Amino acid sequence: MTLTKTGQDLHLMKIAFREFYFNYGNKVEEPSKIQNREFGLMSLDGVMKRHLKFSSLGGLFASLILETPSDVFASNALYDFPVLPISEKGWRGADLIFDIDLKDLDLKCRQSHSFRTCLSCSSSYLSGSDESCPKCSSNSFAESILPCDKCIKGLKNEVAKLHSFLTSDIGISSEKIITYFSGNNGFHIHVLDESFNDLNSQARADLAGYIMGIGILAEVIGAWKDTRSDFRVRFPLGGLDYGWRKRISDRLGISITSQKKLSNMIKELGGLEQFRKRVAEITKEMGVRIDSQVTTDVHRVFRMPGTLNGKSGLTKILCADLNSFDPFDESCQISSREVSVKIMLPKMKLRLKGQRFNLTEGVVHVPMFVGVYLISKGLAHAMDSNP
Amino acid sequence: MNIRLGTADLAKYPFLNEAAEYMHQTYFNLDDLNLPELGHIVERASNRLRSEIEHGRPDYTLERHEVEILTFLVGILIIKAINSDNLTKKHCLFEALRAEKFLVRDLKAQGELSTKRLLLFKIFKELLKMDVLPSLKYQLMFEVKVADYLKRSHLFHEQEWKLINRLVHDGRVFLDPDETVRLIRAEVANLLLERIRQMNPSHIPSTIREQAHILKASIPVASSKLDNSPLAFPPCISHALDEMTAGENLPHSARVMLATYMLAIGKNIEEIVSLFKNAPDYDERVSRYQVEHLAGERGSHVRYLVPSCAKLRNDGLCFATSQCDGLINPVQFGRAVKFNRGETNVSQR
Repeated sequence: MTLTKTGQDLHLMKIAFREFYFNYGNKVEEPSKIQNREFGLMSLDGVMKRHLKFSSLGGLFASLILETPSDVFASNALYDFPVLPISEKGWRGADLIFDIDLKDLDLKCRQSHSFRTCLSCSSSYLSGSDESCPKCSSNSFAESILPCDKCIKGLKNEVAKLHSFLTSDIGISSEKIITYFSGNNGFHIHVLDESFNDLNSQARADLAGYIMGIGILAEVIGAWKDTRSDFRVRFPLGGLDYGWRKRISDRLGISITSQKKLSNMIKELGGLEQFRKRVAEITKEMGVRIDSQVTTDVHRVFRMPGTLNGKSGLTKILCADLNSFDPFDESCQISSREVSVKIMLPKMKLRLKGQRFNLTEGVVHVPMFVGVYLISKGLAHAMDSNP
Repeated sequence: MNIRLGTADLAKYPFLNEAAEYMHQTYFNLDDLNLPELGHIVERASNRLRSEIEHGRPDYTLERHEVEILTFLVGILIIKAINSDNLTKKHCLFEALRAEKFLVRDLKAQGELSTKRLLLFKIFKELLKMDVLPSLKYQLMFEVKVADYLKRSHLFHEQEWKLINRLVHDGRVFLDPDETVRLIRAEVANLLLERIRQMNPSHIPSTIREQAHILKASIPVASSKLDNSPLAFPPCISHALDEMTAGENLPHSARVMLATYMLAIGKNIEEIVSLFKNAPDYDERVSRYQVEHLAGERGSHVRYLVPSCAKLRNDGLCFATSQCDGLINPVQFGRAVKFNRGETNVSQR
């Protein structure tokens, strides 16, 4: 469910976003073969315009200033005719992109900073504390997350795991893997290796399954079904030297010389079926929590690097060094001048652009980047006097 | 690379560019096929096609290269003269199966590595634009780039073809000779199909036309769909039936789905076997045995159930529409349709 913004909210966001594009519009990254990409612009009131074409970044820049969209997207696909309906565009391949999003990580801390905003009375409350709105008992709400440092650490771990799979298993060189902070709750990993561009959805689903650790057979680790004795051990021709076979065998502490050990392990676990479950648990744990729908979609429009994310007011930004990257600092590029907003939560803590904010319910004066962040998340509303 | 294959290889792989060059160098003329000296070639090609039509089996006999290259060419000319899309697809699949068998044997042979490399180059690189190299680490294994593997493996529904069930390292997938060749079977068949479709001979010699006429009369009448209204079939079954009618080579899992579904809705063995008549590898004896096995009349005497929607989704055989909402097995589809129709009638009343 989308968040309801007031006219003043939209007015403040428009001023902030236009100012950003005026100052930083030249930092929007030009996609390769721009004339073959489909563009999409989402207006601040939530209307999406797709099937647009820009032959140069200059044309896009003009639209950003004039229309001031909340979100700017470009297709991962290349088309002969980007402005035509999907079936007539003439698909010519698509960049391989991975999305790692907080919603897929099941982190324990999430509950403590997930919020619901009541769509009836606009009050906000901690998600999970009440099923319905504590003020008006309505059950219609929008949810938002204010990611914490633990969330970012969790996301970075997944990005590092993905990087390892892509380089050591899939053979993509590091310089062809570009990591961006999405501007809200995740990271986008773009692969610049064109040999993957003509893979269709099913082939990409197979690749996504590999990275997520889905669908492994116990046979590839050496455990085969046997009608007489439940199972038998026979290691595969290529051994257990690489990829998933190595990951799992290392975790289980087996090698191709330890046939007896594997056999005993399967017996101790209670048979082949239990061993299969154990292997599936390991692959689930060691696999990367990517959003497979994003990877398999070959007609998707993706947020453009260097543009603002309408769900947070933060920028989708290149992450040159994953370890030192601080999204709450580096991607916060909206103006610092003061605005007044009405906070809808009893209390909250926030860290943005190197500053810490302890905020309580009611009208407060905060830097514009804080105001826009909270309005985008549905946790505050702009006041009349802005700006 | 300008190294040439030996004539023995051209006999096994007559679809290679070098085989066409060989024909060009012999100043062969299409009308030469009317000469009595080449009668045995025309007869051989005709017999090969007859075996494909009647028994659903490729011919694996191997003669010297002059005979094989000409048999291949004559076979294509007869197919062109018969002008049946189903038969053309069937023939291409069998030519691919034939080449597959020889290629597996060649790749498994303990011979010179350079010979294998040349064969891999000529078939995989020149013909299919795909790099395949003998593995230096594992004897009798071959390395394929991950992207090349994924482009082809998604056509297979069996779980062992999923990338996760392969040995993968540094951008390479390691395959044994059987797997390496299996990966390109459909591609070789499609390549041949494309060539035959684009082939535009100036004329067809009279001996070829005669053979085409005789063979055409022996082609079984293409089966149509069952009498049931197609609307009553779930989309997965309709899709498989459409593919089968078009002469496509359905995977084993799709055939099991089709047969078990038809058994579940009460079709008899005869009706179900006839459904598979258009399959490129149709052999009535084999089809009957398999359907009877699924019906529980042979082997373990266990009647097989229709695979669940979840299994079909996993196998890439599901083509769900909104009418499938809430179903867990395709057999429920007919009932749901009837129920909905009943509801409509009630409300109309």
